[in-house]
Amino acid sequence: MTATLGARPAPGRGRARARHRLAVLGFMAPALIGFVLFFGYPLVTTVVLSFTKYDLINPPEFNGLDNYTFMFKDPLLIKAITNTLWFVVVLTIARTVFALGVASVIARLKSGVGLIRTLCYLPSLAPPVAATLVFFMVMRPNGGPLDTVLGWFGVDSPLFFSDPAWAKPGITAIMLWISGDLMIIILAAILDVPQEQYEAAELDGAGPIRRWWHVTLPTISPVLLFGIVNSVILALQLFTQAVVAGSAGSGAADATGSTKYLGFPDNSTLTFPVYLYTQGFRYFDMGYAAAMATVLFVISFAATIVLVQRMRKNSTAEEGGPGA
Amino acid sequence: MRKHTRAALLCVAAALTLTACAAGKGGGANSDAAAAPGKDDKLTLTVWSNYSDREYEEVTKALKTFNKKFPNIEIKHEGSQDDDKITAGIRSGNTPDVALSFTTDNIGQFCSSGAFQPLKNYIDRDKVDLNQLSPAVQEYTEYKGDRCAMPMLTDVYAMYYNKDALSAAGIATPPKTLDELYDAAVKATKKAPNGDIEVAGYLPTMGFYANRPTILAPTFGAEWDKDGKSALASSPGFTEMMTFQKKLVDFYGYDALERFRAGLGQEYSADHAFHQGKIAIMIDGEYRTAFLKAQAPQIKFGTAPFPTWKPADYGTAFTTGTIMGIPKGAKNPGAAWELIKHLTFDTDTIVDLSNAIKNVPSTKAAMESPKLEVDEQFKTFIDLAKSDKLKGNPVTPIGDAHIKAVTDFSVSYQSGKVPDLAAGLKEVDKNIDDLIAKSGK
Amino acid sequence: MTATLTKPPVDVPSEPEQPRRKMNVGAVLNWVATHAIGLALGLMFATPVVFVFLTAVMSDDQAFTSDLWPREWHWGNFVEVFDKAPLFQYLVNSLTYSLLATLGMLISSIPAAYALAKLKWRGRNVAFILVIGAMMLPPQVVAVPLYDTWSGLGLTGTLVPLIAPYFLFDAFSIFLLRQFMLTIPQSYVDAARVDGCSEFQALVRIIVPMAKPGIAATALFCFLFTWNDYFGPLLYTGEVKDQWTLSLALATFKGMHIVQWNSSMAVTFLTMIPAVVLFVFAQKSFVKGITFTGVKG
Repeated sequence: MTATLGARPAPGRGRARARHRLAVLGFMAPALIGFVLFFGYPLVTTVVLSFTKYDLINPPEFNGLDNYTFMFKDPLLIKAITNTLWFVVVLTIARTVFALGVASVIARLKSGVGLIRTLCYLPSLAPPVAATLVFFMVMRPNGGPLDTVLGWFGVDSPLFFSDPAWAKPGITAIMLWISGDLMIIILAAILDVPQEQYEAAELDGAGPIRRWWHVTLPTISPVLLFGIVNSVILALQLFTQAVVAGSAGSGAADATGSTKYLGFPDNSTLTFPVYLYTQGFRYFDMGYAAAMATVLFVISFAATIVLVQRMRKNSTAEEGGPGA
Repeated sequence: MRKHTRAALLCVAAALTLTACAAGKGGGANSDAAAAPGKDDKLTLTVWSNYSDREYEEVTKALKTFNKKFPNIEIKHEGSQDDDKITAGIRSGNTPDVALSFTTDNIGQFCSSGAFQPLKNYIDRDKVDLNQLSPAVQEYTEYKGDRCAMPMLTDVYAMYYNKDALSAAGIATPPKTLDELYDAAVKATKKAPNGDIEVAGYLPTMGFYANRPTILAPTFGAEWDKDGKSALASSPGFTEMMTFQKKLVDFYGYDALERFRAGLGQEYSADHAFHQGKIAIMIDGEYRTAFLKAQAPQIKFGTAPFPTWKPADYGTAFTTGTIMGIPKGAKNPGAAWELIKHLTFDTDTIVDLSNAIKNVPSTKAAMESPKLEVDEQFKTFIDLAKSDKLKGNPVTPIGDAHIKAVTDFSVSYQSGKVPDLAAGLKEVDKNIDDLIAKSGK
Repeated sequence: MTATLTKPPVDVPSEPEQPRRKMNVGAVLNWVATHAIGLALGLMFATPVVFVFLTAVMSDDQAFTSDLWPREWHWGNFVEVFDKAPLFQYLVNSLTYSLLATLGMLISSIPAAYALAKLKWRGRNVAFILVIGAMMLPPQVVAVPLYDTWSGLGLTGTLVPLIAPYFLFDAFSIFLLRQFMLTIPQSYVDAARVDGCSEFQALVRIIVPMAKPGIAATALFCFLFTWNDYFGPLLYTGEVKDQWTLSLALATFKGMHIVQWNSSMAVTFLTMIPAVVLFVFAQKSFVKGITFTGVKG
């Protein structure tokens, strides 16, 4: 990274250029060191370990591509990948749209804003294990609050967390319920849209929906990009909620989210990171877990590059010219 | 070329895991037994366990009885340490002297990797009589003949039945065979006019509550492996286990059963279905007797050995328990061994701890002790523990992967997704063998 | 905000001749509809937290059953948990972890985000993609080499391994702050430069005040993530009880075959209080952000 860390030749004197370069270097230096220590080092370790047999106790033994070839005869891995892909698609879309929707409603409120904003944000303040357990109880069939409400409309509650077909939608519902963090980010971005822009649009005769579409959305698009990437990462790394929902579904929930019953029911909650954890720490094959992590990283990283590049193309027009 | 890459990789790998290597002393099958501490040696023994709150206090009390023998040794007990933490500690050299683990699933890994030090030399040196422990308990504390752990109390699993529910269904004696169990389950089941289940005689869903394949295996005489290979498909017991459960599922109707089960309370709460009278018969550990008395005094329950497929097997039961080992890299292995020996064999200590946290003692002497509090329901478990028909956990180097594989398969089978049972079990066998081969142990 | 209030909100592209009365009715209806949706959302979101509270005041036997309403109100549960676990000590540790981590994050991430958002330099795009990539390694795997390193340094059993990284690099925060800074028009920065500001001055005088809502939100997340972090503290401080954080207190209420649901929910509820208070205060800076950027010139 250091090699490429030079200033773009700026017009003007060399001193200004040097000062610019120094500023960039100064601003980025801590991040650069941290990046190498807390990302580069673990990444290299992971890649190296992925070519070894490592039981976490004895020194790793080189075993070539064994870990990678084993992936092709591992039925659970396919299940885990499918589950995680499901979340990447559904959760990313649902969470971004939902958070944007709620934030847009809140932004339009004139009174009681503080209260409603706090209420919407409350669930995401709860420790994840406790939050998941509570949602589990709320969504419980046979007399849970949600079941009761659905009963008023004559609908039987689906068997969230017991029916393999409903476990992932159930977890998605939990994730939406605790998406207050993204809501607040988007809300902050909406509130940050310069008021003049709305006024200009209003003068042009734009109604609230058109103002939202033509002013709000484009202005907050960088934050929406964050929301999408953040949701993708959340989906890729879905762990605690999946583990807790699985154990509660099998009737064995505890206060800390023990990892005794992973994937219940029928491995529908066995996400990629849950399986990776299982292989590494439950079956003591950190080499295989490292190989899984490497594959996950390569694929998601490639996807990120594509996504970011595309977003960049769409938004370069709005980004102002460089200062230098 | 390949050799070079390989060597280079090994160097990097070695450099990256330097700490692991540095801590890599004290393992190995031939390490000598460290000497016991002298009477006047001042040292601190660190113990990690996963206990908390009241259980933590009781176990600490039991640990302190060690001071009668070694008053100079200070014992530091750290609770809430799970197996992941123990593994991380061992890997980086930050280890306790004694580690307690709740599960016997990891014993294969602990023994074969050297995570727990071998105890054979200590046992030989001190002429410890392992026959004080039942054979099943001996089995779940060793792997392929390498002993690396000792038991601290055990859990034994048996049948719980709701007396009122059974007598209302016209069942005079608790079932002893699978046919009787099926019959009792059917009779004790209550359905609403619309087909909803109100009370289930016996819940067959695998993975729910204590319905784990390990716990149920003794009932069916199911054999996990043969000649080092997974043998589910060729063991008639597993086929019978699947068929029996499926027969019950079909009786309830899969959808009705799932809807009923999804609404049941959590295992570790007063809402447990048996506490609520929603299931009439179940399999569970001895600790449930205490919870039932405290949380559901209105439920009149009895306990008995779980019914078996073959009448000759009646009186068999699954057992598991807390295990203790000396982690690799422990600072005071000699003293740690003395503490472990004390907790495994000191009758008074075991009996007091058993009475306090309602587990079954692990030695024969403690089970005979008049000080052990045994009521009518608890007696079933003590009797089972004394018998030689107990079965332990199948020990493998892959944690509980084999147990999960069977649970998963059973869940699919019950939902009707598996057309061919025999072929399905063969597939599970293959997956388990693949995993064991991958572990290289 | 006052600016928008004085003017009646316009909801449909208004035609000039539209009667005034009708417009007001529309505005009122709109007000009612928006607020009804807002209130419904608020209630929906509040439900689980109410549930936490109700469970916390139940008896041992009632907690985590299908009962929704406590048969008896055991207010004492909130007191008892202080006997069962040294919560004040944990609170101090939690505050230490969360506050220092947030402080560290602000110091390290704001400049980095600024460099990524508003400065032009070769390698910037690569750096940005690497920041995102850094979030994509599964934490379960990353923890293995990192734990060994910290242990080698003799720092396990302390909060240092949890806090120190924030003073250098927190990909999430850098990414989020950069995105917020992108929403600030480049012209503001250019104007500052024309006025002779150095990059540092532009950052401190222009960007930081303008990005205040974003910075507040980022700080809030950092605080809350660390506040509720369970696996980090368990891994690094697990064996040293006086270093435990509040989030770990939950482990106190889990036995081998028993869970004290009321106590764990009571602790959950108590743990949430500081977070809620912080959030209520943090909201103020969101409002400040509006008045700053939205003020009419």
